[in-house]
Amino acid sequence: MVKRLLIVDDEEEICDFLRSFFEDRQYLVETGHSGIQAVEKVRSFKPHIVLLDIQMPEMDGMKALKIIKAENPQVKVIMVTAVETQEKIEESMRLGADNYITKPLSLEYLEKDVQEKLSGLLQ
Amino acid sequence: MNYEQVLRDVAKMMVRLKKPARLLKMITRFIDKNFQLDHTSIIVWENSRSRYTFVDSKGSSRIPAGFLRFDREHPLISWFSQASRPGRMSRDYLLCSDLEEQIEKNKKLNPDSIRSLQILLKAMQLMKAEAAIPGYFKKDLLGLLLLGAKKTKQTFDAREVSFFQTLVQDCSMVVKTTEYHQSLLERNQKLESQLQEIESMRAREQKRYYEIIRSLAQQVNAKDPYTFGHIGQVERLGVITGRELGMDMNGREKDILSAGLLLHDVGKIGIPDHILNKPARLDAEEWEIMKTHVDKGAQILEPLTDFKEVRDIVYSHHERWDGTGYPRGLKGEQIPIGARIVCVVDAFHAIVSTRCYSKGRPIETAFEELRKCGGSQFDSKVVEAFISALTKEMKRRGTGFFYDAEAKH
Repeated sequence: MVKRLLIVDDEEEICDFLRSFFEDRQYLVETGHSGIQAVEKVRSFKPHIVLLDIQMPEMDGMKALKIIKAENPQVKVIMVTAVETQEKIEESMRLGADNYITKPLSLEYLEKDVQEKLSGLLQ
Repeated sequence: MNYEQVLRDVAKMMVRLKKPARLLKMITRFIDKNFQLDHTSIIVWENSRSRYTFVDSKGSSRIPAGFLRFDREHPLISWFSQASRPGRMSRDYLLCSDLEEQIEKNKKLNPDSIRSLQILLKAMQLMKAEAAIPGYFKKDLLGLLLLGAKKTKQTFDAREVSFFQTLVQDCSMVVKTTEYHQSLLERNQKLESQLQEIESMRAREQKRYYEIIRSLAQQVNAKDPYTFGHIGQVERLGVITGRELGMDMNGREKDILSAGLLLHDVGKIGIPDHILNKPARLDAEEWEIMKTHVDKGAQILEPLTDFKEVRDIVYSHHERWDGTGYPRGLKGEQIPIGARIVCVVDAFHAIVSTRCYSKGRPIETAFEELRKCGGSQFDSKVVEAFISALTKEMKRRGTGFFYDAEAKH
């Protein structure tokens, strides 16, 4: 089975870094750099999992999350962000986020979490 | 490149920079500029958060600082933290080329052992690192310098590796020293503020102590209807005399003198009323009993260890300058200054007040009397200070300063 992962972050270096990390682990990776691209790529690429930054131009991660979850409730969305306020965490959970990971992030934890969400999907 | 010169320049830079984070950023920038690498980055241990993070990353394949964290279990971190490494590989540096060689060598001999080496190699490649140079303080791994591939694709030679090792070791020392210095500063500040708190607590306590003393002294003097209410005045006269003599009348010295002035006759509590209030002259036997009030006063204050100086004043306030006083027959400067002041003020008060055995006399007469007894009964220096202080005070505030309290009784 092909594991499809969409990585959305306005910093290209972060996208590239995470792409090579997950491609090494046999994921099919697509990247985007804004909220609008996130919404569009969820429609076209149909990922199992989305890693979604919050602070982005055009449309921020929270708005994107709302639309993505409204259109595809089954897709797992992990917020990956430097913003760490209780308010943001609660808001994103209310909007249907499946986890909330803050930067600086541990790759080991991120990988474990992505795997967990994936096996949850397959059951 | 002149490596020695570079190290000297960096050392100069280290002396100038107070913040280690800035130093480390300058180091990455410096390496990036001079060595033509794909990537240069520094990972450091953050003590407050128990993790390693990037402080900086430079080059064409940089990893944004603040994006990644590494736990102690991360393969790269644990490689440099653990006591030993397989294949006698060095603790002081790691090159991808050496790793690959080890993997190749062990492929046939010991296929199981190469798994951890492969994981490590992956971690290095993910960090875009060809070489990793650790910085230690004692056994602790403080951080790592990660060096990407050279743009020329050449490998790092021994000279370069040794240069980077020296650089990282120097940086580690600076970081550790600054950290230590900072923590010392913080601890000092904390101590300082604790000391201040203790000091202000002590001052508050002391103040309360003396308030209690004052009210006690009032009660004691209430026994003698002629002196009731005058004790506050005795204190005031004594304090202005002390100030005239150049004593510090703001701190502890004032508290001691005040308490001495207030409590000098506290021993009279133990003198029978018929002697204390006798409307005629005391006979020899009665006089001996009366004299014991200084011993009784000292006894009363004995348990108060903070009041040693006060007790000394109380005990010595009937000593005379010429050594003929009681109870010890102290002479001149042997008598505590506080006691010499009490002596003068008390005598003055007796002269000007109406008591059971005499009518009050004018202030001028009292001054004359005091001066006459200077050098025998009193310390002349204290007498002159007293007269000058009281004269000034009366000029400033009128004679009412002295007579007000008197008029009420």
